[in-house]
Amino acid sequence: MIKNKKILVLLSLVLVFSLFVVGCGKTEDTPGTDQPADKAPEVRDTLIVGQGADAKILDPHATNDQPSSRVMKQIYETLITQNEQMELEPGLAVSWEKVDDLTFEFKLRQGVKFHNGEEFKASDVKFTLLRAVESPTIGHIVGAIDPESIEIIDDYTIRISTKNPFAPLLAHLAHGASSMLNEKAVAEGGDDYGQNPVGTGPFKLYEWKSGDSIELVRFEDFHGAQPKIERIIMRNIPEGTNRAIELETGAIDIAFDIAPTDVNRIDENKELTLVRDPNLSTAYIGFNAAKKPYDDVRVRQAINYAIDMDSIIEAVYLGIGEPAIGPLGANVWASHRGLTPYGFDVDKAKELMKEAGLEDGFKTTIWTNENQQRMDIAEIVQNQLKAINIETEVKVLEWGSYLDGTAAGEHDMFILGWTTVTGDPDYGLYPLFHSEQYGSAGNRTFWSTPRSDELLTLGRTTADPEKRKEYYMEAQEIIRDEAPWVFTWNGENVSGTRNNVRGFMQHPAGHHKLFTVYFE
Amino acid sequence: MHKYILRRLLLLIPVMLGVAFIVFTMMYFTPGDPAAIMLGEAASEHDVERLREEMGLDRPFIVQFSTYIKNLVVHQDIGRSYQSKKPVVTAILERFPTTLKLAALGVLVAVLLGIPTGIISATKQYSIFDSASMVAALLGVSMPNFWQGLMSIIVFSVWLGWLPSSGFSTPMHMILPALTIGTSSAAIITRMTRSSMLEVIRQDYIRTARAKGQKEFIVITRHALKNALIPVLTVVGLQFGYLLGGAVLTETIFSIPGVGRLMVDAIKQRDFPIVQGGVLFLAITFSFMNLLIDILYAFVDPRIKSQYK
Amino acid sequence: MNKQGQKRGPWREVWRRLKQNKAAMVGLAIILILVFSAIFADFIAPYGYDDQDLKARLQGPSMQHFLGTDNFGRDILSRIIYGSRVSLQVGFIAVGIAIAVGGTLGAISGYYGKRLDNVIMRLMDVLLAIPGILLAISIVAALGSGLQNVMIAVGIGSIPGYARIVRSSVLTIREQEFIEAARAVGASDFRIITKHIIPNALAPIIVQSTLGVAGAILSAAGLSFIGLGFQPPTPEWGAMLSTGRNFIRDHWHMTAFPGLAIMITIFGLNLLGDGLRDALDPRLKN
Repeated sequence: MIKNKKILVLLSLVLVFSLFVVGCGKTEDTPGTDQPADKAPEVRDTLIVGQGADAKILDPHATNDQPSSRVMKQIYETLITQNEQMELEPGLAVSWEKVDDLTFEFKLRQGVKFHNGEEFKASDVKFTLLRAVESPTIGHIVGAIDPESIEIIDDYTIRISTKNPFAPLLAHLAHGASSMLNEKAVAEGGDDYGQNPVGTGPFKLYEWKSGDSIELVRFEDFHGAQPKIERIIMRNIPEGTNRAIELETGAIDIAFDIAPTDVNRIDENKELTLVRDPNLSTAYIGFNAAKKPYDDVRVRQAINYAIDMDSIIEAVYLGIGEPAIGPLGANVWASHRGLTPYGFDVDKAKELMKEAGLEDGFKTTIWTNENQQRMDIAEIVQNQLKAINIETEVKVLEWGSYLDGTAAGEHDMFILGWTTVTGDPDYGLYPLFHSEQYGSAGNRTFWSTPRSDELLTLGRTTADPEKRKEYYMEAQEIIRDEAPWVFTWNGENVSGTRNNVRGFMQHPAGHHKLFTVYFE
Repeated sequence: MHKYILRRLLLLIPVMLGVAFIVFTMMYFTPGDPAAIMLGEAASEHDVERLREEMGLDRPFIVQFSTYIKNLVVHQDIGRSYQSKKPVVTAILERFPTTLKLAALGVLVAVLLGIPTGIISATKQYSIFDSASMVAALLGVSMPNFWQGLMSIIVFSVWLGWLPSSGFSTPMHMILPALTIGTSSAAIITRMTRSSMLEVIRQDYIRTARAKGQKEFIVITRHALKNALIPVLTVVGLQFGYLLGGAVLTETIFSIPGVGRLMVDAIKQRDFPIVQGGVLFLAITFSFMNLLIDILYAFVDPRIKSQYK
Repeated sequence: MNKQGQKRGPWREVWRRLKQNKAAMVGLAIILILVFSAIFADFIAPYGYDDQDLKARLQGPSMQHFLGTDNFGRDILSRIIYGSRVSLQVGFIAVGIAIAVGGTLGAISGYYGKRLDNVIMRLMDVLLAIPGILLAISIVAALGSGLQNVMIAVGIGSIPGYARIVRSSVLTIREQEFIEAARAVGASDFRIITKHIIPNALAPIIVQSTLGVAGAILSAAGLSFIGLGFQPPTPEWGAMLSTGRNFIRDHWHMTAFPGLAIMITIFGLNLLGDGLRDALDPRLKN
């Protein structure tokens, strides 16, 4: 009898415990305003956005990943901003002028408050830039700046110089990594600053449920126009399918990065609006030109001819984006739109292989990381290269191993992508094609020519836009002819919104502003 | 009994040091440089080196490991995440409630489904109910739970539109994940309950009780159940421990921010402090769970208790 | 086993009992069909496992493609048939590794006892304390993906189970008369372990390993489901399912069928495992 009771007690304990644990969670969740399923028809003041990953850290100097940038865009501001057409616009600096070949002078906006109540001044700019230059993570973005040269003229005037002439400086100052921080907040935050960000932007961090969602609330002392929405909740929904389902059921108002497979469904749904704009990304298949047989330009060209890129893009991206014809997408400044695509021509490919003495083909590998589209491309390429007797093994590596291996030059062919965030050809070409950038620094094809090196250097050090354009045009032609890449695809930003969402515009760099959004 | 518990707790120390060592070694020799991952596709060697230094990755293995153990033992500090710079303890503890909730719900589903089914099956051995539930249980064990999760999303979220497919905020959100994670445990518990009941029912004292003319219901609930449930309890406990560490796939499918997802992301990002801390945390939880089960077992079954004296 | 004359009797008896168990026979049949299709995949499969046809992508089940085609227009039925090779290999070899390593450790542990026993068993505790799937993920991350490494990763996780079984059988057998007799006539430790102790521990190992193969197949599928494991175009069921997930709403067949294949396989192994347990341990059977 006693035993019997004990068992009952235990079992009920287990049950009570489970219910307790469950219950705990519930009470935890209810007090917040975060009722994702809330579909109240009245005026909505909370915008719920779904994206594919959680932010890592909200310190612009500690990371350079897209999900974090997307959140930080709402919290921080930069001296200069780039609008949706990639044109430079005043941000925290109201105006700027060139003092000499190396130096710019910026007039700062007055009366700007940080989220902690501090006023934004020239000293913050200096502090921020010095901290940024020191950061191994994003230091390269502001690396051209000479830290010694930053000169505070008065509280609202500052001069910034570069060590060498650096034409794209302003675009780099518009990069999220150049967001303005407050010295006091950073010092107070210490190691935990990345969880307690303080910016000048229209929204401040309210609550961060790690891995689940980030809630932002309107900053009442914002210097610009007040957003109409009061709160933004950015939910982390990694699976594309789930993001689409959540959008369709109204659990979220905007879904970023709609998967190609869901595009039609969202487009056809009468309650939803599909938003598509070209972005700044380029996908490419690269050759390790330091290795045989890829040191032979004919082999690289032959493979270019042997791949039916249109059908690959149709199969993999389902009509999203467009086939790339050069290393830069159409919306990057000075992108060469007149390059002739290789086209799909197996006979020509065979001919070139014969010329190279490789008509019997060879064995090779194609590397990719776990990205679904890249794996798909690899599989089809593997299949298509059989036609010119190239036997390809697909190697899927984890991102870390992939970076290590391609930096060390262990690979043959590889698939990768690049986003020219600044919209300037220097950012899109120099790291990827200059011989100084071999390996981890970005040029994982180990390809270069003296002339292209020269052009890329000229391009970044010349101030005159017309001349720069010429250099870049020629560089792109060389890259096309020398074929270190198979140009693959220029991407699109694809988001879906509920029909009552207004004022949503996509930024080509992917970090869309949400503070202009409101509900109908 | 106290001595036994103390001994078990002391034994945990070398085991946990072993866990720490194995995970540390494995991560150390895993290709993929954490610094390179943080810096991305285009990072100069100079920057990578600087970051490696900042993270202490440039030091020899033995120095890194002994520093880790020293910090762990002396300062109870297991470091900060490379990526988020958060203290590892915080990073894990803010995810743990979700995992705990999911595991608890899974066990709840399993117990509510498994025990009654097992009992009825045993009392009606060879009936249609028995055969059907045994086949169902076997299918339940055989079904990959990630597949079950996906299929239930298709049916209940996509086709029928009854339940949400991702997240873990409201009770509605919890139904599919709980069912997904609880199914195989339910199946295991059903089978255990049945076989344990069958064994008990054959015992003499049950025959005696029946012979005394007691009602079958009373015989089952009063006499048989109490002994039959002891091994079942063990299985329930084991399943709970297992679900705490094995929810990775379910968390992935339903976009649930639990410890499992944190760990998988950390392994992929080579966020070593999180991986080490997380595995250690789960290992300790699991070991305590096992110890607890053993103690409870002794508590309900005096025959076992006497062994520990 | 047949080398020892007196052993033949019991195994025959086991087989006789197993034959009477209908469920176990169904399980055995399923496994045999799978083995058969793995061996003769080249003849049975209507298409190759990597025959892409980009014009026939994502087709539902039809007369040309009984189970439809995938996102590259490959025949799913064929890929499932070829996939049985992968899964069975992973299952059996992973368990083989685990038995070899775990069995050896367990035998040493149980036979020599004392400090060695303590060290080995603590090591097993360490392995047991780390959640299986995380252990497997870390090992694959460390070794890299690929069939061989998945087998190792999955195998390592199940070492402790076999070590414990073998150790406990050794402990019960060690002091029995026939072992002492063997020792008395001067048999070496190695001989005693391999000739006497291991055969006696065989029954629980067989049961455990049948279920272990099922577990290994599931783990491997789980690994490739989260994107670690096999190199494309390997037709691994978990990987197929994982790809299908992207198309799940319009083309459920890509996800449903590979999952069913896994489920049927595991079901068969479980049926057989249950049957074997009953057949090997008649006390459990009523």
